[in-house]
Amino acid sequence: MSLIKQLWLIILGLLILAFSGSLFISVTSSHDYIERSIRLKNADNTNALALTMSQLPKDGVTLELLASAQFDTGHYRLIELRDTQGAVITRHQAETGIENVPKWFVELIDFNVPPGKAKIQDGWQQFATLTLEGQHGFAYRTLWRSTLALTGWFVLAGGISLALAWWLVRRIRLPLRAVIDQAQNIGQRRFTTAQEPRTQELRELVQAMNRLSTVVGDQLGKEGQQLESLRRQLQHDAVTDTLQRSTFLDRLKEHLGSQDYRANGMLILLRVVDLAEYNQRFGHAVTDQHLRELADTLTELAAEYGNGMVGRLNGQDFAVLLPGANDLDNMRDRLYQSLDALSDTAGDAGVTFALQAAGALISYGPDDSQPLLFSALDNALADAEMRGERTSLSVVTQHQNALFNGQEAWRDALQESMSQGVQLTSRPVIDETRQLVHMEAQPELFLSGEWRHAGIFMPWLTRLNITTQFELDMVDAALAEIARNGLPVSIHLSTASIYDARFVLELRERLLANQEASRKLWLEVPESLATREMDNLRSFCRAQHSRGCHIGLKHVGTDVRRIAELRDVGLDYLKIEAGLISHLKDNDRLKEVLRGIASLCHSEGLLVVAEGATDSAHAQALFELGFDGVAGPGVKRHPDGHHIIED
Amino acid sequence: MMLAGLFGAGLLGWPGSKMLADLDQEQLRRSMRQAYGQAGLTAVEEWLALLNRLQQQPVNIQLGAVNDFFNLRVGWRDDIDIWNQKDYWATPLETLARGKGDCEDYTIGKYATLRQLNVAEEKLRLIYVKAWLGRGQGAQAHMVLGYYHTPGSEPLILDNIIPNITRGGERTDLEPLFSFNGSGLWAQGSSQSRADPLERLSRWRSVIERMQQHGFLRGR
Repeated sequence: MSLIKQLWLIILGLLILAFSGSLFISVTSSHDYIERSIRLKNADNTNALALTMSQLPKDGVTLELLASAQFDTGHYRLIELRDTQGAVITRHQAETGIENVPKWFVELIDFNVPPGKAKIQDGWQQFATLTLEGQHGFAYRTLWRSTLALTGWFVLAGGISLALAWWLVRRIRLPLRAVIDQAQNIGQRRFTTAQEPRTQELRELVQAMNRLSTVVGDQLGKEGQQLESLRRQLQHDAVTDTLQRSTFLDRLKEHLGSQDYRANGMLILLRVVDLAEYNQRFGHAVTDQHLRELADTLTELAAEYGNGMVGRLNGQDFAVLLPGANDLDNMRDRLYQSLDALSDTAGDAGVTFALQAAGALISYGPDDSQPLLFSALDNALADAEMRGERTSLSVVTQHQNALFNGQEAWRDALQESMSQGVQLTSRPVIDETRQLVHMEAQPELFLSGEWRHAGIFMPWLTRLNITTQFELDMVDAALAEIARNGLPVSIHLSTASIYDARFVLELRERLLANQEASRKLWLEVPESLATREMDNLRSFCRAQHSRGCHIGLKHVGTDVRRIAELRDVGLDYLKIEAGLISHLKDNDRLKEVLRGIASLCHSEGLLVVAEGATDSAHAQALFELGFDGVAGPGVKRHPDGHHIIED
Repeated sequence: MMLAGLFGAGLLGWPGSKMLADLDQEQLRRSMRQAYGQAGLTAVEEWLALLNRLQQQPVNIQLGAVNDFFNLRVGWRDDIDIWNQKDYWATPLETLARGKGDCEDYTIGKYATLRQLNVAEEKLRLIYVKAWLGRGQGAQAHMVLGYYHTPGSEPLILDNIIPNITRGGERTDLEPLFSFNGSGLWAQGSSQSRADPLERLSRWRSVIERMQQHGFLRGR
């Protein structure tokens, strides 16, 4: 039985006991008192009347008059006079006078009062026996009324007590509920801290659990930091802390090959023209310092665009990848400003930043190839360098072989195709036993005679500000798909949608309306949400979680430290970006990092899935490192429902 | 003075007559010795001897012996002199131990003793009488014990003014006013006293309580 139920039983039991006890005591003591009073009255009156009669002439008329005079006061039920032989001399009897009292109550109370008896003396002889019984019908009525009144009061007092008890129980139950929630959270590796309740025992419990949460949290945080520094050693340039060439190019390739929002964006190449002379003039230390400042500026810029990243392609060249960015001219101006701002501040070594930089900006799209992009950038960079200014940036304008011309055409085409519905193409994510984790769905729209992937229309959705509408359609399509074939489905939501309160609300409604399917829906949000908008993410998780769906982060890989901070957010899984897990073979240090990531995730109760497993050996290596699932080009689902990973 | 006790007396009664079995003789001796010393002890012994002697005797012998026993051993005094109370009703043994008592003390002592000897309650009545002491002394409130052989018969009077038992009609010096006995104080069939505070006010109750304390009634 639950504690609260027991409390209620005790309270109710006590109330009933108090009520029935008081009622019983009150009724019995009144009963005794009344009975005694009536008995005394009977005895007294009998004696007084007998005494009077003893002193008077004993003729019938006098006795009759005396008896009836006494009787007619109305307070008697019986006045009887019998002679010594027992013959009745005079007798007056009245009704019992019990009115307005239930019969059962009369039977229950049943006053047992003996009649008063006294002898009347005539000289030395006894003359007669006087028997007198007082009228006590009123006593039943009085007792009945007082019982009713008492019951009424008790009902009132009981009501008030119950209200108080309710308040009290609630005061216990609420913090208890919070403690249980926290314990459950900890059970799910979500190391939350809870507000301390006022009840002392519960407070101590919560304090202890909070301490546990904090200790575990700190521990995880430390692990995360160690992993991140390991990863940086592996993948970052030692001087500027930007991505190394190979890592950057891997990621770029992944972006270009992806079929989601990352397939569009901007690529910037920035060259430090006078690096050799700078080195000679100011020495390595100053040069490195200024390179770091430059890299920091670029990293800031990349962070501003959410999922952007900076790489150092060689000593001189930096590249910036900004997925989703499209306004080249605007970006060029931003870059000018940032670089100018650098020159205005004196560096640590007392030398003002004076690196000469040339740069080029280009947009990329789903069909672009990496070599072509770089050769276009190289050409533009050469132009910029020719200008010989301290900072010179060129924008590569290239012919956009777009499906439609202009915003209006796109708007019409998108609206029309959205009204026809979103199509989902899926690829499986499977675990070590080849069981399906979920189907990773990519949305497609029917545009210009073909089903086109999101990489093609996503920028336009953003530009036209109809992303949220599209993503709600996508949720509908996913829920319908789950309802149709019963397989769990994951879909990717954009940051813009999650910021949109209306979207969050409508998403909730849809999940509520499809509770069964909601349990098989896996929602993925960009990693940048966790790096920049932790609170936003937390409230989103809280809002959707209760509906039963899973929530995860996609394309994780830029900052492993963050994983440690995810412990109380309420996420269910992470997908580690392909760039982080490629080139696994013979790279023991990378394996160490990945094993660390997997165990960190597990200790926080997160599933960890690798994106971009290339073949079965790669997948097997990942499983051995502790990954719970893999996705990738080699992972296939047969129509009969079993899964394979191609060699 | 005697009438003051009337309404209280109306409630009085006497426990079921169970003879000497109801007496806790040891307790009687102890309590009387404690209260009155050797005199108390002597009184108890004499009284118990009387009870033993009379147990199997016919009622007229019992009446005479009890009447004489009290009349001989108790000297008449007013309550105020003995007990410093105006109208104190003493128990039979208090009366015997002191050797002094007023008219109620005689009457109660005789009544209680006869009840111990199993004389039916309805035959015994305590009678308030007006006593003419003669030669201009006027009338005085007095109490005697009446023995009614039948409810309608003329009673035999046990009195201390005239120590011989006489019929009521022969006592021209006494004018009966009212009579009572112990019936009604005890609930029908119950030997348990109706112990409640109001009844304790009655003089009879107080006498009975003291008798219980002294050991008249066992195991109450």
